Amino acid sequence: MQIMAETFLNGLMLGALYAVFGLGLSLSLGVMRMINIAHGDLIVVGAYLTSVVMSAIGIGPFAALVLVVPMMFGLGWVMQILLLNRVVGRDALAPLLLTFGLSIVLQNILQELFTADTRSLQAGDLASLGFEFGGVSIGVLPLLSTAASFALLGVTHWLIGHTHFGRQARAVSDDPDTARLVGVNDRRFFAVVTGFIFSLIGMAAVLYALRTPFSPTAGPERLLYSFEAVVLGGLGNIWGTLFGGLVIGVAQLFGAKISSGLGPFFGHLVFLIALLAFPQGLFRRSAS
Amino acid sequence: MLSTEKLSAYYGMFQALFGISFFAERGEVVSLIGANGAGKSTLLRSIVGSVRVAPSDVRLDGHAVGGRSEIDQLARGIALVPEGRRLFPSLTVEENLVLAARNGRSGPWTPDRLLRELPVLKPLRSRPATALSGGQQQLVAVGRALVTNPDFLLCDEISLGLSPVAVEAVYALLATVVNEGMAIVLVEQNVRRALAKSSRYYCMLKGKIVLEGESKTADYARVSAAYFGD
Amino acid sequence: MTIALSSRMPSGSISRRIAVWSGLILFAVILAAVPWFSTFAVQRLLVEALTLFAIALAWNLLAGYGGLVAVGLHVFVGVGAYALFATSNQLHLNPWMLLPAAAVFAATFALISAWPMFRLSGAHFAVGTWVLAEMMRILTLNSPSLGAGGGMPLEAMGDFDRWTRNAGVYWAALMVGAGSLIVARAVLRGPLGLALMSVRDSEPAALASGVPVSRSKIALWVLCAAMTGLAGAVAYMNTLQVTPDASFSLNWTAAAIFIAVLGGIGTLEGPIVGTIVYFALREFFADYGAWYFIGMGLLAIATMVAAPGGAWSLLPQRWRFDPFRVRRLMPELGPDRHASTPALNHDL
Repeated sequence: MQIMAETFLNGLMLGALYAVFGLGLSLSLGVMRMINIAHGDLIVVGAYLTSVVMSAIGIGPFAALVLVVPMMFGLGWVMQILLLNRVVGRDALAPLLLTFGLSIVLQNILQELFTADTRSLQAGDLASLGFEFGGVSIGVLPLLSTAASFALLGVTHWLIGHTHFGRQARAVSDDPDTARLVGVNDRRFFAVVTGFIFSLIGMAAVLYALRTPFSPTAGPERLLYSFEAVVLGGLGNIWGTLFGGLVIGVAQLFGAKISSGLGPFFGHLVFLIALLAFPQGLFRRSAS
Repeated sequence: MLSTEKLSAYYGMFQALFGISFFAERGEVVSLIGANGAGKSTLLRSIVGSVRVAPSDVRLDGHAVGGRSEIDQLARGIALVPEGRRLFPSLTVEENLVLAARNGRSGPWTPDRLLRELPVLKPLRSRPATALSGGQQQLVAVGRALVTNPDFLLCDEISLGLSPVAVEAVYALLATVVNEGMAIVLVEQNVRRALAKSSRYYCMLKGKIVLEGESKTADYARVSAAYFGD
Repeated sequence: MTIALSSRMPSGSISRRIAVWSGLILFAVILAAVPWFSTFAVQRLLVEALTLFAIALAWNLLAGYGGLVAVGLHVFVGVGAYALFATSNQLHLNPWMLLPAAAVFAATFALISAWPMFRLSGAHFAVGTWVLAEMMRILTLNSPSLGAGGGMPLEAMGDFDRWTRNAGVYWAALMVGAGSLIVARAVLRGPLGLALMSVRDSEPAALASGVPVSRSKIALWVLCAAMTGLAGAVAYMNTLQVTPDASFSLNWTAAAIFIAVLGGIGTLEGPIVGTIVYFALREFFADYGAWYFIGMGLLAIATMVAAPGGAWSLLPQRWRFDPFRVRRLMPELGPDRHASTPALNHDL
């Protein structure tokens, strides 16, 4: 019983991370109607970037974020302007294939630069802290990471609901043609959105890399988990993505308890079953 | 003055407009009448930038402005109230207005002023924009274009599906606006209303202008003939 | 106004037809005779090329004619290969005779998976198929009965001598490659092809005209699964060992995508051109390791940005021809209007 509670709790905390992974994908799908196949690889890029900054300057992971987040924003902005804007709004094929090519390029560049070895970010003493609560042991780092995930989701929710940026995002995802009529400059706006998405990816990357060793080919799996969280939660719904992420996280950890190699498999299985049972995702699109 | 010079527009290989020439001066109301498919909406959308045309096809005060994007035209003072209203369901009434105002030009029309001039909308400001009646939505749609402070307001079928009372409310708003010097290009299927509300008219059929003139002295028989293509 | 169908043949070309067919038959005879005048290495390369061609053709059909981008098409490579190996090993039967079974297995798997997969569309479908592939990979990785991580050998192959084995696999690959092309062409020129092209042009219009849209898409999905499964089975007969990580590897789809993108999506000749280019590039750049993949990725990106129609689209309009006669195009109505084509993807 205690093991079940612990697994469940850890699954929730893992799921919160998946929700943040999925957040960027959800925004991309909602506003630009496009899935970036390289999404997971960009998380890995963020992790390597943080690792490099940490060892170059000799600071901790959270301090490194101060540099990494703006760098990721810039990277996203440039990528949208130079590449992605040329394929947005066309058929679904072009952005998929372009980002697929991008995924291959990123994985192989990372492999050239950093070899195929895994590495992880060191959190120092924080990694070993934990406490007991109701007979269940909880790690401090996962808890902080979960709190950070919720904070990111909350901040994004606020941005979408209460700022000009958010209004434009909602307008474009409702009706891109009419949005242009009221002065939304797609080219530049999409660049800002992608920059924002990449910043989220950067922050998610640190949370991820602190708890899991990563390698150049770890990207695709992260994409799949992000995707599952978003689809389960229903499109255009931040809190739905959270719920989707939580479901996948819990499913994976329970699956791993049943058989250690089958964790992700159970996540995929639950995803398929939920898809059959709830074809629209578990939540309707919210008109916040 | 906003004018088009032998403007031609295509959807892929299909030609929708054949050499349209028309003009509208500040402070006047010009109506475009014609049956469905005549090309009235296409003409408005060509002017505002949703349909690409040659640069010299559209002129604003003499300058060639055709083929630019909607955002460019908005900055030049050309705004469109699209057919079917097209409010954003994920935004409230107020957010629809604020979004357009922030992206448009500054000027006498602000969301606050609009809500003051249209008291019926004030209690609805925080409702999702599509949770309003048709007439109320049309007022918001016109208002959304107004708060970008255009010089030329293009209105596409704004009385469609509205009750007579609602239509009058919308036109009352437009009358205020014309008095302040804005030009309005009105697309209307209802010939009588179009002629009553405008100073000049153009009648279109199958992508061409087949008749034009002063609305006051319009001969209904000739207009009907042109409208139906007899 | 009558519109001449471009698929109708101009009269007086009977002699040209005879010439083309004789050339093709000669070419086929030469290809079939390869085991007698080439090395095992060349044969193995040809098997790789032919099976990859079939997979690329399948991916191309799905994406170009069905509008179904399947990033996870490689699931059928693994399913087909494992089906062949497992049945051959269990039943102690000649693997060549079981090849149809591999195709049927893959087709059945496709039919069952269509239920959840077709709940998704567009980009969601694309990634959803990838989830499916990952599931199968992890499942086989953790299945001791299928050899788990180390995979399984094809035991029956030990019964044959090397020359017979290699020649047999080569001929099977030849049949898979040529057969895929023939089947694809036949399907596209038939009612399914017409249905799919109508859906490609405008799904709502197709639905309104009574075209069985879902059934057509599922039929295409099952067909392409069978092709891919068969190709996968033959490809692994070539290597004699099937493993989860290799047979369910994204690299299969990645290669298929590169080939399709380079050659042109939505054509039958595209994968032929693409496969040749792909293998030529691979042979030239074999020593460059990861840089080869980076180059391929950059090429794919550049193609989608600059020439999304693939190699064919770079040719001027009048040089283009339709060797397989599967395109149905409206004849040009007048001077090219595309200079004034508005940036629209939506309805009037």
